Amino acid sequence: MSGIDNLEWEKLLTEFSKNVDKSLKKLEERDIDNIPGAKQALVERLRVMRDYFPQNNGDLFIKSINEKIQNAFFPKTKDLAEAFELILKSRSHDQDFIINELINGFISSRSKTIALNVQGTVIDRMVEAFSKGPDFQIVDHQFYAMFSDPNKARKYVKESLQDLVDLFGLEAKELIVEKDKRKSERKVYTFYTFPEKILEILEGEYVDTDDVLGEKRVSEKFDKTVFISLFLANISVHRDDLKKIGGVYTINGICSIFSLILLISLMPKLEVNETNPVLRDPTYNPETMSIIPKSWMMKEILLDLLEPLINIVAYRLGGGEWLKSVETSEVKKKIHNQIRFLIKDVNKWVYGQLTRVEIPIFIEISNIFAEVLIDYSTGE
Amino acid sequence: MVRERWTDILARYLTYLSHLVPILKETKKTVQNMSLEVMMDVKIFDKIKMDEEKRLVKKVRALSEFSAYYRGEVFENIKNFIYKYAEDLEPIDIKDYLIEFFDECISALEILMNVTNPDQKKLNSTYLYLLYKYLEDLLLPIGKNFEEIYMKLNKTSKNWHECQRYMMIPHTYYRETVDNPDFFEIPGISPKLYQIINNITSLYNLDPNYYPCPEDSNIEIPVVLIEDVFEAFIDNIAHEEQEAVEKICERLGLRVLDGIFLAPKYDFIDVLIKLDFLRENKQSDGKIRLIPQFSNETLILSYLAFVSFRRGFLSKELINWISMTFAFIIFSTILKSQLSDHNIFYPIFTGLKTQEKVIPYMMKLLCFNNYLKLDRMKIRDSVQYRKEIFNFAGSSIDCIKQLILDLSEYLKEIKKKKKEGV
Repeated sequence: MSGIDNLEWEKLLTEFSKNVDKSLKKLEERDIDNIPGAKQALVERLRVMRDYFPQNNGDLFIKSINEKIQNAFFPKTKDLAEAFELILKSRSHDQDFIINELINGFISSRSKTIALNVQGTVIDRMVEAFSKGPDFQIVDHQFYAMFSDPNKARKYVKESLQDLVDLFGLEAKELIVEKDKRKSERKVYTFYTFPEKILEILEGEYVDTDDVLGEKRVSEKFDKTVFISLFLANISVHRDDLKKIGGVYTINGICSIFSLILLISLMPKLEVNETNPVLRDPTYNPETMSIIPKSWMMKEILLDLLEPLINIVAYRLGGGEWLKSVETSEVKKKIHNQIRFLIKDVNKWVYGQLTRVEIPIFIEISNIFAEVLIDYSTGE
Repeated sequence: MVRERWTDILARYLTYLSHLVPILKETKKTVQNMSLEVMMDVKIFDKIKMDEEKRLVKKVRALSEFSAYYRGEVFENIKNFIYKYAEDLEPIDIKDYLIEFFDECISALEILMNVTNPDQKKLNSTYLYLLYKYLEDLLLPIGKNFEEIYMKLNKTSKNWHECQRYMMIPHTYYRETVDNPDFFEIPGISPKLYQIINNITSLYNLDPNYYPCPEDSNIEIPVVLIEDVFEAFIDNIAHEEQEAVEKICERLGLRVLDGIFLAPKYDFIDVLIKLDFLRENKQSDGKIRLIPQFSNETLILSYLAFVSFRRGFLSKELINWISMTFAFIIFSTILKSQLSDHNIFYPIFTGLKTQEKVIPYMMKLLCFNNYLKLDRMKIRDSVQYRKEIFNFAGSSIDCIKQLILDLSEYLKEIKKKKKEGV
């Protein structure tokens, strides 16, 4: 790390400590938790975060972001196929649910300009379209059929189709037919497909071959994970070229999502007594879920915590270029507020308690932190 | 538009189905009578198909086209099956499999054709009624009042909340207007509204203010600021909802106080206390403060209970979506219970061409008073619209798949009891 970089990094760490301090003060003033000891657990956790994260040149952040988040979601490579394969391998079923929920939400809002009337289901529809044939190709008119708004002319879809293609890093290929069947005219069909090396991986992973007929078909395993992994791989490989990854919008969205993941991982688990209604709810499974203090989600506290964390994640994943792109305008507050509500999509409210589903990435990050907590409590 | 009677719709429902049974029975007989050698030479099927098509007398065009399509698909599937397994299976086994597939299809069609009867005799023992009742309890229960319906939904939501939610979000939500000039019309939940409901739930659990209950000065009820709910939306993208907030509140069991707060309605408070979604906390001044402890489904169920209670006032989109969901589940259940997963004719039944000939009429049948009690005049007949909604019928949704599996077990039980004459 060069001298200037080190200064920037130190500045971010100091900013983090300061903001945690601010949150602590606000927490002292208000308590919205009704589980005995919840507030105290949160106060202690924030103190540990404030004292220990900036130590050793922010070693804990480097471990959590570079080793855990980056390895699993943004591999440091310039080869798209390699990045895609690494991301795909690090996905697990439980993890998929939450990560998909977050990123799907982001992609939906990103692509809402393309398909206003289908927000929320863009990836599902892509999966459906690409699963129809074993060659993972779809033709342009299929795109129009899927995403055109009945109230708008087709040219609007045509114009923004490229955005969707860029978002997932797809490739366009042309097929020229000299005489088409209907009008005997020359016709150019545009097909969209995955980059060649990605196709090879897909054919190995997601194509079933019929033993008898030798017929190939896309297997049921082919789902939105593929598109989300491709989306992340595209960002990893082109992280230095903001234009190719959707610019400032993508960076703000992605950094916010991963700082949120970081923050949820760091929250302490709470024990509730036997009479708590949460335990009577059959959807609450204490083996895979845990209750976390909800005070940290108070607007006053969360916004202070999120702001420096987004900067830190941006810096660790994309260096100074990404850090510069983090939104600093008034819109920022609204974005952070949106994230605050995004939390309930991945966590569940059960009788007024925020319950976290323990997925591998949460556990891995909190494990790094647990080592420090042990030291802290034994005073070593 | 003519108000169609039960018998009219049932007749239309049966029209297409009645063409399928003879095709399957005839083809089964043909395969049965074929020698193995002839059968394995698949060209024979093309020849039979051509002869059949030549025989066609002038019928209603749509019907003859459908029959031709269906016959074509049946023969095509047989040919593919023979090609596929010619080397691995003995011809006799292939023939047995084919006959088994035919029998399964015929038995599924028999149930589909006998789901109910023209004069609704012995209603309580008809398939349609029994299957509907099973679904009614889970998805859209009937009750004397809002509270009774909410309680019923709360019981089933533990396992089926995803199906309940699915049914409330029509795929054609973009055609809905939140702020309909007709105050009584209830639209479905759009994804944006769903986000707003989630925001309200989070705000109640996180930052509620307390306000004296207008009906009882001894109680302090939780309220949230309307402004906070919409603050998270950038560029006025929830402007329409903000304008229609009173109407939305009504459907969620909430009300607007002083023009700036959202508070639970007085009747709803009792329900919330009974279900532990509000906790009573006695203050030092003797007043009781109601502390919210909402779950994700607390307000969604309120919307659903409201829809169920006022089912006579639903929007066109919602009526189409709800009846389509019920009809789709019942249709798929009948197939699932009779057809094995590897039945080669399964895709013909689940294809859009067959579904659009059967499900729309089943939707209309399900709107009658013994069933959903919805306004069947609002069921759309446009082919384009059917394609639009059937394309997204919930076959690929896990919770709907599970519901179909459970319901098909129940159907097997019904069938068994009917056989035993119970």
